[in-house]
Amino acid sequence: MEKSGSIDSLGSKRSSSRQPSVDSLSSTSTSRSDRSAQAKPPSAMSSDSMSTSAEFSPELRVSSLHVKPKTAVKQVLRDSEKEEPQLLPNETVQDMAQDITYFCPFTGAVRGTVMVTNYRLFFKSTDREPAFVLDLPLGVVSRVEKIGGASSRGDVSYGLVCKDMRNLRFAHKQMEDTLRKSIFEVLIKFAFPVSNGLQIFAFDYGQVFPENGWKVYDAISEYKRQGIPNESWRITKINDHYELCDTYPSTLAVPVNIPDEELRRVAAFRAKGRIPVLSWIHPESQATVTRCSQPMVGVNGKRSKEDEKYLQAIMDANAQSHKLFIFDVRPCVNAAANKKNGGGYESEDAYQNAELVFLDIHNIHVMRESLRKLKDVVYPNIEDSHWLSNLESTHWLEHIKLILAGALRIADKVESGKTSVVVHCSDGWDRTAQLTSLAMLMLDSYYRTIRGFEVLLEKEWLSFGHRFQLRIGHGDKNHTDADRSPVFIQFVDCVWQLTRQFPAAFEFNEYFLVTILDHLYSCLFGTFLCNSEQQRLKEEIPKRTVSLWSYINSQLEDFTNPLYVNYSNHVLFPVVSLRHLELWVGYYIRWNPRMRPQEPVHQRYKELLAKRAELQKRVDELQREVTNRSASSSSERAGSPTRSITPVQTFV
Amino acid sequence: MFPVKPMKPTFKCYLPPVQTDVKRTIDPPIKKLEPKLLPGEIVVNEANFVRKCISSESSQDDLWGKLICTNFKVSFILQDVPSKQKPPMSHLLLGEHDIPLTCLEQVVTVNDTKGKKKVLGSNQKLKFNPTELILYCKDLRIIRFCFGEAGPESAKKVCLAIAHYSHPADLHLLFGFEYQGRRYHESKEERVNGSASRGGFQTPIFDRPSDWDREIKRTGASEWRVCSINESYAISSSLPEFIVVPVSLADQDLNRYSVFFTDHRIPLWCWNHSNGSALVRMASINDPLQQRKIEQRVFTAITKSHPQRSEVHKFELDKSLPNIQDVQAAFVKVRHISVIDPFEESEERWLTSIENSRWLEHVRAFLKQSAEIVYCLDGKNVSVILQEEEDRDLNCVVSSLVQLMLDPQYRSLAGFQSLVQKEWVMAGHRFLDRCNHLKKNEKEESPLFILFLDCVWQMMNQYPAAFEFTDAYLTVLSDSMWIPLFSTFLFNSPKQRTQHLMDFAKNKAIPPGEDQVVFFPPVWDWSQQFSTKDQTLFNNPTYIGKGAACVQNGEVKTFTRTKQKSYSSTMRGTASSMRNGVKERGEEALVRRSSLVSELKPDFSPVKDESPSERFFRDWFSQPADQQGLLIPLLMPSHVALWKLFFLRWVPEACIPKGGPITAYHKISQLVDEIEILQSQLRRYKGPSPGNTPLPSQREPPLTQRRMYFKATSPTPPDYLSSSFPFTPVGNLCRRSVYGTPISKFLNGARTWLSTETLANDAV
Repeated sequence: MEKSGSIDSLGSKRSSSRQPSVDSLSSTSTSRSDRSAQAKPPSAMSSDSMSTSAEFSPELRVSSLHVKPKTAVKQVLRDSEKEEPQLLPNETVQDMAQDITYFCPFTGAVRGTVMVTNYRLFFKSTDREPAFVLDLPLGVVSRVEKIGGASSRGDVSYGLVCKDMRNLRFAHKQMEDTLRKSIFEVLIKFAFPVSNGLQIFAFDYGQVFPENGWKVYDAISEYKRQGIPNESWRITKINDHYELCDTYPSTLAVPVNIPDEELRRVAAFRAKGRIPVLSWIHPESQATVTRCSQPMVGVNGKRSKEDEKYLQAIMDANAQSHKLFIFDVRPCVNAAANKKNGGGYESEDAYQNAELVFLDIHNIHVMRESLRKLKDVVYPNIEDSHWLSNLESTHWLEHIKLILAGALRIADKVESGKTSVVVHCSDGWDRTAQLTSLAMLMLDSYYRTIRGFEVLLEKEWLSFGHRFQLRIGHGDKNHTDADRSPVFIQFVDCVWQLTRQFPAAFEFNEYFLVTILDHLYSCLFGTFLCNSEQQRLKEEIPKRTVSLWSYINSQLEDFTNPLYVNYSNHVLFPVVSLRHLELWVGYYIRWNPRMRPQEPVHQRYKELLAKRAELQKRVDELQREVTNRSASSSSERAGSPTRSITPVQTFV
Repeated sequence: MFPVKPMKPTFKCYLPPVQTDVKRTIDPPIKKLEPKLLPGEIVVNEANFVRKCISSESSQDDLWGKLICTNFKVSFILQDVPSKQKPPMSHLLLGEHDIPLTCLEQVVTVNDTKGKKKVLGSNQKLKFNPTELILYCKDLRIIRFCFGEAGPESAKKVCLAIAHYSHPADLHLLFGFEYQGRRYHESKEERVNGSASRGGFQTPIFDRPSDWDREIKRTGASEWRVCSINESYAISSSLPEFIVVPVSLADQDLNRYSVFFTDHRIPLWCWNHSNGSALVRMASINDPLQQRKIEQRVFTAITKSHPQRSEVHKFELDKSLPNIQDVQAAFVKVRHISVIDPFEESEERWLTSIENSRWLEHVRAFLKQSAEIVYCLDGKNVSVILQEEEDRDLNCVVSSLVQLMLDPQYRSLAGFQSLVQKEWVMAGHRFLDRCNHLKKNEKEESPLFILFLDCVWQMMNQYPAAFEFTDAYLTVLSDSMWIPLFSTFLFNSPKQRTQHLMDFAKNKAIPPGEDQVVFFPPVWDWSQQFSTKDQTLFNNPTYIGKGAACVQNGEVKTFTRTKQKSYSSTMRGTASSMRNGVKERGEEALVRRSSLVSELKPDFSPVKDESPSERFFRDWFSQPADQQGLLIPLLMPSHVALWKLFFLRWVPEACIPKGGPITAYHKISQLVDEIEILQSQLRRYKGPSPGNTPLPSQREPPLTQRRMYFKATSPTPPDYLSSSFPFTPVGNLCRRSVYGTPISKFLNGARTWLSTETLANDAV
C-alpha cells in the first residue's frame, strides 16, 4: 500500500484544524458511507432492520444500528455516544478500541472507535456529527498490512485491501503496553478464520427466514422442467456417491444409449473425470448444450473410442442436425499447450461430424490481473483525463466482450443452427461455467426470473463445481494464492451487461446482482462456501448455514425489476460490441462519494404503479356507486343519491 | 416450488426472417416509378436500374429502383414495394429513402474498375463513369448506390446533378423559399379570413416585447426592462429587436456604450434566479482604453438590479472553453469513429478512439463551466455575465445549459423550445454559417448546437424524470437542422431572417403585415413533419413536472411540489447566502476538486481546503435531487457517455434487436397510458351530472388526446423495437466488408453471421 511517512503528520493535524462549519460536509460523507453500506443490508444489519434497507435515509440507517430499538428512536439519535451496531444472531464482540483514525480517501481523516466482532468491522467517528460509520463484513478483507510502526511519532497504521474493490486505512497510537494486541491483530484473526483454525461465521449465523433457500434448486425438478428424461436423454445415478467424478453433482443427464459402464471409460478420458453432460436442451429442436472438461489427448494424440462414441450419441440425440459443435473456450495456443500436461482438444479427424471452435477466452490468471488493474483505475478516484484509455488498458471490457461473444455464439448455434454444442475449457469449471450459464440465460427466459437465476447459479456454478472456496479464498489469509480469480464476478458483470441491453427482459434488478456479489464475500450465508457439491454435503452446509436465497426470496420486492416483461421463450441476442458494453459503475465505482446512483427509473415506475392502483381503486368505487345507485334508484327514489354522490365530489 | 412451465414450442428468434426472394434479374419497369413531390418541387435528373446497397457482405438484400434528384432532395423509388412494415416513425415530408440536399455533407463518386474516386462539388466535371455513388449525410447516414445496370451517362448525370444542387449559390435557392411560398398560397383557402394565428404551437418566438415581458414576470426580474433600442436593427445587426436591460440603464446610455462592443452587442439579459441574481451575456469590448470604464458601468447597472446589490461575476468563455474549431474537429473525429470506420476495426481501440476524438471531453467542459456558473447564481447569489468575443457561439451553449440546470420550466417541451429560440435563434447564433448550408466556408462550420443537444442528453441520461421530452426528440430536432424548410436554422441573425423573409414575401406576393411565423414557420410546428401520433414519441412517460398528466391532481405525495418557486430550493438558498462574502474563482475550484480528494496527501485536510463551490456541490449531491428543482449533472468522466441514439442509430451492427432503452420506454408508456385512461374515466364520472354513467365504449379517451406512443392495450413489445428506434439502420451502410477470421466476424455482433448461419441450415 502507501508509504508510511505521510501518516504521522496527518495524525497530528487532524483534530486541531477542525472548523465549526464541518457539519454539512460530514453529513454528506455519512450519507455516502451510508449508501454504500446499503448495498449489503443483511451483512450490516440484523434481519429485523432489513426491511428498511431500501431507504436511503441516514436516520433510518443510524437507528437500525442500535442495539436497543426499544428506546425512542429520536432520542437515541441524539445520543450518539453509545451507538453500536445491532449484532446478528451469534455475532459476538471480540475487541473494541478508541482513538482510531480512519483515512477516508474521499473526505479525509476521521477519528473514531472501532469494534471487531466475529463477523464485522465497525468504525464510528467521534468527531463528526452526524457520525461517519463504516461497517464491513470481515469476509471482504483480502489482506491486512501493517505499515510503519517504528516511525517518528509512533503511530501504527493498517491497510485493509478488500475483495470488493476498495482499500481502507486505519491508524492508532503505538501501544505502550507491548503485550496488548492491536485491535487489527484481532481483526486478522477473525478476518481469516480458516487460517486461524476458526469457523467461518456462516456456521454461527442462525437467522431464520420465512423461505428456505436450500430448496430452490432440485436437480431432478430442473431436468424435468426441461423435459428430461425423454427418448434421447436419461438421468443417471452413477455419480450418486461422487465416485465417477468428485467435482460433479450426483445427478447427471446423459444420452440414453450410453450405459453407465461406458460412462466410466469416458470419464477416464476426460480431465478430472468431468464427462460431457447435459446442461440445457432446446424444447423445440432438441439441440443441447453439454459441458465437460478437456479430453486427455496428450502429446501423442491419444484417442478414446468411448469418448468418440459418446459425442456421436450427443449429436444423434438431436435429429435436427448432423453436426456437433465443440467449443473449446480457450485460446488455441493455450489448448495446444495443455497437451504437455496430458490434456488438449478434440481432433476433427477423431470426431466425425464435429467442428471444433476456439473461443479465445483467457485463463483465470489473466482475469485476476485485469481486475487488479481495473481497481487501480477506479479506486479511490478516477483521473479526470484519460479515463477511457485507462479503462481500455485494463482490458476488462474486452474480456467481458469475448465471454459474451462466446456465449452468443453458443446460443446462436443452438437456436438458429439447431445444432448441439459441447463446451469445455481445461477443467470445465471456470470459463465453461461462464459460457454455458450465459448461453442458457440468452436461450431460456426462465433463467431470467429471480428464481430461475438462482437455479442457474445453483446448477451451472455450484453443483458443477466452480471452486468458490479457492477462487474467492473465504477466510483464508493467503491473498497471493494463484487459485484466486474473479471468474464469477466477471460472469455477474456479463449478466449486468445483458440487463443493460434488455432492460425489460430480466425479473431481477441491479441491486440483486450487487447483493449476490456482496454475499459472495461476506461469508454470512453458506451458498458460496466450499468447492463442490460433495464438499458441501460433507460439511453439511445446507444444514448448518443459511442460504443466500432464503434472505433474497424472503424480500423479493427489493430485488424485482418493475420493468420486467415476460418475454417468454424469446432468445436474447445481445450486441457484443464495445459500443454497448459499459463499465458497471454501480458496482466498481460505488465507494466513490461523487458517484451518485443515477436517478432510478425503477423508482419512478413504482410510483406510477402506486398511482395506477389508487386510480383503479377510485374508478372501481365509483363504478360500484353508480351500479348501486342505479339499482337502488330503480326500486326507491329518495334517500340514496346524496350519500352516494359524496365521494364523487371529494375525490379531487 | 418448481412450477414446471409448459414449454410450448414457440421459441422465436429475435431476428427478422431472412428474405430469400430478392430478385436478381431485372424486369423491365412495368410500373412507372414516380417520386412523391412537395409543392414547388421539381425533378432535376434521374437514373433507372440503380441499386441501393444494404449490406456490405453481399448484394442479395440490395434494393433496386430509381434514383432521382429534385431541387429539394435525393430520392430513391423502389422497384418492388417491400412487404415489410413501414418505418415506425414516418416523416410527412420525406420518404424512408429520401435525403434532403441540405443534408448532404459529401457527394463521392467511385469507379471500381478504374479505381477512381472523386468528391464532387458544384459545377464540376467528372472524367469517369461512376459505378458507385456514396452520399455522406450530415445526420450521419451513409448511403451507397451502385450503377451496375444503369446507363453510364445517366449515372454520371444524376451524380453531377446531386452534387450541383446540394451546393446552392445563394440562400434564396434553398428549397424552403419555394416550398413555403407555394404552401402559403395553397393553404390560404383553408384558412379563415386569410391571416391566421401563429400556428398550433405554444413556443414563444421572442420577436416581440410581450414574449420578453412574460419572461421577466415569470422569473421575477422586476429590475429589468424590455428595451426597443434595436428596433429595425438600428444598433446592432445581430441582436434581436427587443432586448432586456437593467432598469437603471437608459436608452441613451446603451446607445452610447454600444459602439464599444463587438458588433454593437450590448449586454443581453438571459434569465433571473428567484434570489435576484441575473444571467447576462455580452460581446467583448473592442476599445481597450474604454474597457474598464464601460464594464464598470454595466456591472454597476446589473448590481443595481440585484435585490441584495450583489456583485457581478464575469466569465470569459473564450478563455475557458474549447473554440468552435476544436468542437468541429472533435465532431468530425467522433463521427468518423462512429459511422465511417469499419465496425470491427474500430472495435479494437474503441475507447481510446472515443477519448482521442475529445468530443466527450468538450461536452464535459461545457457542462462543467455551466455548473460553475450555476454555483455563482444559486450558491453565491451573485449575478453572472458571460463574455465571449462575439457573444454568438459559446455563450449560446453555456447560457442555455445554465438555465436548463436552474429552471425546470426549460425542461418542459415548450420551455426547451423557447430556450433555443431565446438563446440561439434570437441571440444571433449563426446557424447558416455553423451548419454550412451553402457549403461555402468550411472554416465557419461547427456543430455547436449538436454539442448543446449532447449536453442536454447527458443531463437527461442522468435525470430521466426531469425532462418532458425524450432523446428521440433531441435527435429529431438535430435532424431538422438539415431540412431547409423551417426558418429556425436557416439564418445567421434575426435581422437576416427578417430581411430575407421580407424579400421573400414580396416575391411571393404575400400580403405585407402577414406574420412571418405563419408564412415561413419555425421548426417548432412539428405537425409539419410528423403526425400527431408520431409526435407522442417526444413525450417522456417518466416526466415529473407540470405538463405530465399524471400529476394533475398532485395526489401522490412524491409528485407534489412545494409552493415556493421550484427552482430555488429554500434550504440551499439560505445556506448559500451565508457564503456570500467568500471570493472564489469558480473554474479553478472545479479543477482542483478532482485532485483534492486523492488519497493521503501529507497535509490532507479536505474540510479545511474545500472551497465554497466544492462544498456547494457536495451539499447538493448529498441530497436526493428534486426533479423540478436545481439539477447539476455528474461530471466524473465515467458518467459522461456517448449519445448512442444519435451516433449509432444508423449502424446496423450496433443495433440491438428487441432491446435498448426503448423497451423500458415501451413498458412505462403503457403504464402511463393506463393511468391516463383511468383519469379520464374519473373525469367523466365527476362530470356535471353524476348520473351519467359512462358507457363502456367510451372508456378510452380519443386517440388525439393520448400522450403515449405505446398504448396500454399492446402488452407485448412490438417486434420492430430496437436500440435504434424510431430510426431504422437498414440500408445505411457504405463499409467495405473486412473478411477476417471467423472469430473476428462474430465478435462484431451477431447480425451478419447469424443470417448466413440460418441460411446454411435451411439449405440442409
